[in-house]
Amino acid sequence: MSARYGMVIDLDRCTGCGACMVACAVENNVPTSPARVTDRTGLTPMLVHKVSNGLEGSGHREVFIPVACMHCAHETPCVSVCPQQAVEVDQETGIVMQIPQRCLGCRYCMTACPYHARYFNWWDPSWPPGMEKTLNPGVATRMRGVVEKCNLCHARLHTAMERAAAAGKKEIDMADYVPACVEACPTNAILFGNLANPNDPVSQAVHSPDTFRLLARLGTEPKTYYKSHQAWVRALAERSPNGHVTEAQHV
Amino acid sequence: MKVSRRDLLLGTAGLTAGVFFTPVPWKVLDDVSIWTQNWPWIPQPAHGPVTTKLSSCTLCASGCSIRVRMAAGFPVGISGAASHPLTQGALCPLGFAAHQLNWHPARLREVRHHGRSASWEEASAAFEKACAEGPVAVIDGRSGRAASAVLQAFATKHNGSYEVVLNTEEKSLSPCAQWTGVPVNSLGYDLENARTVVSFGAPLLDGWGVPGRFTHLWSERAAGKTDPQLRLIQIEPSLSRTATNAWRWVPICQGTEALLAASLAKILIEEHLVSSPGPLPPASLTEAATQTGLTPTAIRDLAYAMVERRPTLVIGADENPAVAALNVLLGSLGVSGGIVKKPATPFAMPQTSAGRTPRRAVLVDSTVPWEYIAPSGAEVFRFAAWDGGGNRADWLLPAPGFLEELTDLPTPPTSAVAVYGIAPSLLIPSAQLKTAAEFAQQIDSTLPTVDQTIHARCEGIFHAHRGSVNSEKKFPVAGFESAAKLEEALRTGGIWLEDSSSAAALKCSLKEWPTDSPTRVSGNWANAWAAPVMPTLAAKLYRESSLRETPQRSQS
Repeated sequence: MSARYGMVIDLDRCTGCGACMVACAVENNVPTSPARVTDRTGLTPMLVHKVSNGLEGSGHREVFIPVACMHCAHETPCVSVCPQQAVEVDQETGIVMQIPQRCLGCRYCMTACPYHARYFNWWDPSWPPGMEKTLNPGVATRMRGVVEKCNLCHARLHTAMERAAAAGKKEIDMADYVPACVEACPTNAILFGNLANPNDPVSQAVHSPDTFRLLARLGTEPKTYYKSHQAWVRALAERSPNGHVTEAQHV
Repeated sequence: MKVSRRDLLLGTAGLTAGVFFTPVPWKVLDDVSIWTQNWPWIPQPAHGPVTTKLSSCTLCASGCSIRVRMAAGFPVGISGAASHPLTQGALCPLGFAAHQLNWHPARLREVRHHGRSASWEEASAAFEKACAEGPVAVIDGRSGRAASAVLQAFATKHNGSYEVVLNTEEKSLSPCAQWTGVPVNSLGYDLENARTVVSFGAPLLDGWGVPGRFTHLWSERAAGKTDPQLRLIQIEPSLSRTATNAWRWVPICQGTEALLAASLAKILIEEHLVSSPGPLPPASLTEAATQTGLTPTAIRDLAYAMVERRPTLVIGADENPAVAALNVLLGSLGVSGGIVKKPATPFAMPQTSAGRTPRRAVLVDSTVPWEYIAPSGAEVFRFAAWDGGGNRADWLLPAPGFLEELTDLPTPPTSAVAVYGIAPSLLIPSAQLKTAAEFAQQIDSTLPTVDQTIHARCEGIFHAHRGSVNSEKKFPVAGFESAAKLEEALRTGGIWLEDSSSAAALKCSLKEWPTDSPTRVSGNWANAWAAPVMPTLAAKLYRESSLRETPQRSQS
């Protein structure tokens, strides 16, 4: 049976520490960048935004929203604009895959992505001398001139599949497949699992009245859900001017 | 046919134009792009046997359990190990990229004397000369380690002093340590049993104490709940990460924490909200309201909220006697859910000692924060793995980096229970690197080594028959066949945990309300990072995301 991997991020539990960002970058061999890099030219496959309710004084509140590729299930914007077929939706897992060898670097997909979850490799990947020894052997470095994004730690999925195959199983054990950001979260704010399995805690969590999706009105069926008991946080996803979370008081 | 010059030019132009109607230039362009994208010198991951080893993070005194993924003999990934009873698998963001620190551009690899290259022999000779000429002081940043015991033994034998630089969490406990006569490292906050935590600016959800300990408690008992089991009241001028996630945030003016504490104490006493009234603070509610920026009603409400759900624990951001005195008033000393005294460890802990002044030389361990300023007039021998810049030491001595040193991790500051772990050396350090303990031991070979001290400590734990070793499972110490087996379990990532016991009573009474003391900004992951540099990748991500301001020194 095909899986549909997705996650529910409990924003009430997110303290904005950034452990998910660091763990993601280490797992996926994200290179260090020149000092002149900005948030527009850098590589942050997982990016934590800080947004506020806009009130003054003691009523002022902030919340942290981790944003990575949403792995849209319907009319995936980046897939339809790619002239190279470098973006594919894996029908077996629901993961939106980026194939760097096919990418010609036109960046149409970056423009099309409503979540700004795609990043361009402006420079050759580089690390301080010797640091390349610490690269994760399960993930290849990407070349200059291609787009990259979150692939739900595909290398970890492969390892889980190999383990399942070695044990003679057809389906993976979900305990073997935990993306780096999920593993790193110190407050267990990120719940990951198979949305196609009704018994999976993640597919039960999406039915909570506090659960919402960013820009749900676009109809792209993102597989990343968010959860908050605060009404102003839930309203944020619908209220943002350009329908984008980064437009909402990104500090 | 005669080919004229005109024909040649026309043919060349036609060929040039025609070639653009073929795939050739585009294919060449594509191939050149691909070729230049894959220069042979572009780093690729090394391949080799992949193993996983359990150890402990040594970047700060918390000693979180880590799972280190090694490939071809090098660490390629770090994740938290759930076997640690305090951290439960959590790590701070910097810990995830800590294995890259050994290749940080600011890594120290050679001895420097006043900025120039020097040798270990010269450094040893200079230190021996200094020891012979006058008293020396040994400065430690993390007390209680095996290396601390070696350094203390050295200082004692050479008529010197052994001093410890306290971190901000330890400083918040130091007033209570003075009043009770119990050493700071024997006191801890029993967060697990507290129902209300009042923080005067302590970044409880931002790397305070053992990362993961309070965040776990908060996420289980308070996050997303309007009436949480654990009430966190954050008193702080700005909306920090802790304040935004607190049950109640009380914004006050900078530097008025002690005045607010005094006025809260006055309300608690005058309105009989506490059973054991102490000395009445000389503070007026009106003045406190004016200076803190709160209304008198808000201060009264805060006092009532503090006693609504007991036990209540009050935590300061730094050494602030007025804030600490609230714990005495609330009866939170020596009780479950308050400030507790930990049972004595089964091995001797090194104690600080005051020496003669002025000092001829100061030996500063690599665990001491880079910002530490040594007493003027003394010759400074500073150990460090990374150069934080602007150094005032006479001698800069390269120390082993992350995962390069065998060390042990005694109970972290603020913990209410005693734990003990060992971090083995997973990487072979270069011969050019030495720890302060090794340096002292080379000068005085009669001192025990760190390895021998750790061995003796394991024997102490084994013979005490107390506690358990938490690894993949929990093994009672009494169940180990020998001390060697216990030591092996600890050296492979096991964490010894003291048996839980009821809080020992702490005698303390205040004769007068403590005087004011300024509160400084407390440390969190970014601004109180123990090493003078930040992992390159973490610095990059913070810079690109604007999630957190990174100190200028960490930008490289």
